[in-house]
Amino acid sequence: MMNLQTVLTITKKEMLEIWRDRVYFIMAFVFPFIMILILGFGLSFDVEKMPFAVLDYDNSDQSRDYSYKFISSRYFDYKGSIDSVKKADELINTSKVRFVLVIPPEFSKNIINGYSAEVQAQIDGMFNYRASVVSGYISAINANYNSELIQQWAMKSQGMTSQAISDLISPVSLETRYLYNNELKSIWSTGTGLIVLVMLVSPAMLAALGVVREKETGSIFNIYASTASRSEFITGKLLPYIAISYINISILCLLALWVFQAPFKGDLSVLLVANFFFVASAAAIGVLISSFVKSQAAAALISMLGTMIPGIMYSGLMMPVASMSSEAVIEAHAFPAMYQLEVIWGVFLKGQGWPELWLNILILSGFLILLWLLAVLRFRKRVNG
Amino acid sequence: MNLLWWRRVLSLTKKELLQYSRDIILVIATLYFFTGEVFIGGKGVSFDLINAPIGYVDYDQSEASREWLNKLRQPYFDVKGSIDNDKDAQHYLDNSSLLGVMEIPHNFQNDLLKGQSTDISFQLDASNVILGNLANSYVSLSNASFNQEWMLKKLKINDIDEMESPSVDAKKMILFNPEGKSSWFMAISEMMTVMTLLSLFLTAAILVKEKERGTIEQLSIAPLTPFQILLPKILAVEIILLIGVALSLFLIVIPVFEVPFQGEFWLFFLVSAVYIYAMSGLGIFIATVSKNLAQVMIVSIILIMPIVLLSGAFTPPEAMPEWEQPIVHFSPLYYYINMGFGIILKGAGLNLIWTDLLSLFALGTVLFIFGISQFRKQFEN
Repeated sequence: MMNLQTVLTITKKEMLEIWRDRVYFIMAFVFPFIMILILGFGLSFDVEKMPFAVLDYDNSDQSRDYSYKFISSRYFDYKGSIDSVKKADELINTSKVRFVLVIPPEFSKNIINGYSAEVQAQIDGMFNYRASVVSGYISAINANYNSELIQQWAMKSQGMTSQAISDLISPVSLETRYLYNNELKSIWSTGTGLIVLVMLVSPAMLAALGVVREKETGSIFNIYASTASRSEFITGKLLPYIAISYINISILCLLALWVFQAPFKGDLSVLLVANFFFVASAAAIGVLISSFVKSQAAAALISMLGTMIPGIMYSGLMMPVASMSSEAVIEAHAFPAMYQLEVIWGVFLKGQGWPELWLNILILSGFLILLWLLAVLRFRKRVNG
Repeated sequence: MNLLWWRRVLSLTKKELLQYSRDIILVIATLYFFTGEVFIGGKGVSFDLINAPIGYVDYDQSEASREWLNKLRQPYFDVKGSIDNDKDAQHYLDNSSLLGVMEIPHNFQNDLLKGQSTDISFQLDASNVILGNLANSYVSLSNASFNQEWMLKKLKINDIDEMESPSVDAKKMILFNPEGKSSWFMAISEMMTVMTLLSLFLTAAILVKEKERGTIEQLSIAPLTPFQILLPKILAVEIILLIGVALSLFLIVIPVFEVPFQGEFWLFFLVSAVYIYAMSGLGIFIATVSKNLAQVMIVSIILIMPIVLLSGAFTPPEAMPEWEQPIVHFSPLYYYINMGFGIILKGAGLNLIWTDLLSLFALGTVLFIFGISQFRKQFEN
C-alpha cells in the first residue's frame, strides 16, 4: 500500500526542485500559453480571400460582368488582370495567386447569340483541401451567373415570369444550417481543439524531463536507497506535474472563451473532470517514457515524437477520425487525445454533458490507471537496467 | 583562409560526423524521422471527406425524394438511413453519430410536379470546419445536378446543349495534382517539417553537448576562432540532413507516394542546403541560451511551432489575420515551402524562385550572424 506521507514528501521535494530551476518553472507555464496563442491564430482552415487573377481574351462588357462576380466575392481577392498564359503560369508557380480565370475570345459572342460559352479556371492543386473548396466556390458563382443569364433570356424570348423561371431552373433549393458553429469559424474549432494538443505535449515533456534529470544528475540513487516504494515514487513525482498542468489547462480553456471567443454550451463539471484525467494521463505518458531512456535529450525527443505526432495526426484535430485509414483509426483509439477532443468540442460547441460523454471520461480514467500501472511496473529500483 | 584553416575545419567536421554516428539513438531517430514519419504523414492524414455519416428525415417518401437522396454519393457520404423525426435527428447530431441530416418536406414531389420550388434543409455539424466546408460543397453539387436533371426532364430535353439558351460552362483544371491526392501534399510538407525540426535540434544538440560535458572549454582555448568552431558543426549537420532528405525523397516520397518530381534535383538540394544554413543560425542561438539539452528541447519546440504554423503550409498567409501576415516573412520555412513545392510539384526553375532563395539566404545570414555573436559573448563572460 502507498503511504500518503511518503508520496507527499516526494511531491514537496519535486515542487521545490521545479521552483528553484527558474527557466524550467517559467517554461512550464509560459510554454502552453505561447503555443495556444500562436497556433490558435495561425492555424486556420478558413478558405477566404484567395488571391486570383483574370486572363480576359474577350475584353467585353459581358466578360467584365462575369469576372466582376468573382471580384466582388468575399472568398476571393482580385490581384489584377494579366495578358498572357506565361504570366499566369508564373503567378501560379510562385504561389502569388491560387487560381487564374481564363475567359476565351468568343465569350461575349457566344453569350449574345445564345450559345454556351466556356471559361477555364486553373486552380493550384498543391493543397487538395484548398483546391476543392475553391473549386466549389467557383461552381457556385458560375451557377449564380448562369441562372441570371437564363432568367434574362427566358424573360425576353419565352415571355416567362421571373418566378416561373426560377421555379424551373432551381426547383430544389438547399438550405444548409451550420450547427454548433453557425458562422463556420475555424478559430472556434481549432482554438478549443488545440488545447488538447498543447496539453498532451507539455505535461508529457515536463514529466519525462523531470524524472530523467534525476537519472542524469545521479540524485535518483537517493530514491533507490530510500524506503519509498515504486508506486509512491511514481505518484509523488506525477502530482506536481498534474497540478501545474491542471492550472495550465484551466487557463487555456479561459483563453479559448475570452481570446478566441468560443461559446461554452455544455456541462462544466464534465470538462473539469475530463481535464484532470487527460492531463494526468499525459503526465503519466511522460513518466513512462522516462523509464525507457537515460538521457534528457532522448527523453525530450521521444516524448515529443510520442505525443505531438499522434496529437496532431490522430486526434481528429486536423482530420476527422471517420476519414482516416484503418491503421490510423486504431492508432486514434489507442491514444487519449481523441477522447479528450470529443469532450472539448462537445462541451464548448455542442452543449453536451454527462449523458453523451460519460464513456469518454471512463476511457480517459482507464488510460490514467493503465499508464500509471505501466510506469510503476517499468520503474526499477536497481542500478543496472 | 589558407589551407591550414580549411584542414582544421575539415578535421573538426569529421570529428562531428564520427561523434554523431556513435550516438545510435540519435541516428535511429534521424532515420525514422526521414522515412517512417514521412510515410505516416503521407499515408495517415487526408483532408478529404470520406464516408461522412449522413441521415435523412424523409416526410415525403416519394420517388422524387428517393431520387434526390440517391444523388448523395460514395465515397463522400455514407448514408446511414432514415430517421423518423426531428427530435431523433437532433439527438444523433448532438451525440456526434451523424455529421449531417437532410430533411425533405411533405409534398416535395407534388410541388416539383406542379412546378413550384421547394426547400430541403440540411443540418450540418460544423464543429470541424474542414468537414463542414467540404460536406456543404458536395451536397450543393449533388443538389445542382438534381436540379439540372429535373429541369431537362421537364422541358423534355436530353442534353443541356440542346437547350438554346446562353450559359457559361466553367471548366476547372486542378493543376499539379489533378486527382487531388492529400498524400502528395502531406508527405512533402512532413518532409519539410522534419527538416525544420532536425536542422534546429541537431545543431543545438551538438553544441550544447560540448557545453554539458565541458569540452567546449577545450575548444575555446584551441587556436580557433568562434566561426571556425561553429562552421564544422554546421557542415556536419548539412551533410547529415542532405543525406536524410535524399533518403526521404528517393525511398518514400517518389516511389511510395508516386509524387511526380517536376523540377531539377540539384536545385531542390541547393534550396535545402540554404534552408539548413538559415535554421542552424537559430540552432546556435538556442544552444547559447540553454544550459542543457532539456532546455534546448523546450526552446526548440517553442520556436518550431510558430515556424511551422506560420509557414503557410496549412494556412495560406492570405487567410491569416492582417497583423500576422508580415510575420510570415520571418519564418524561414515559408520560403522553403514555397520553393520546395514549386520545384517538386510545379517544376519551377531558378528564374522563378531566385527572389525567394535570396530572401532565405539573407534571413539565414542575419540569423547566423546573430547566433555567432551570441555564441562569442558567452566566452567573454
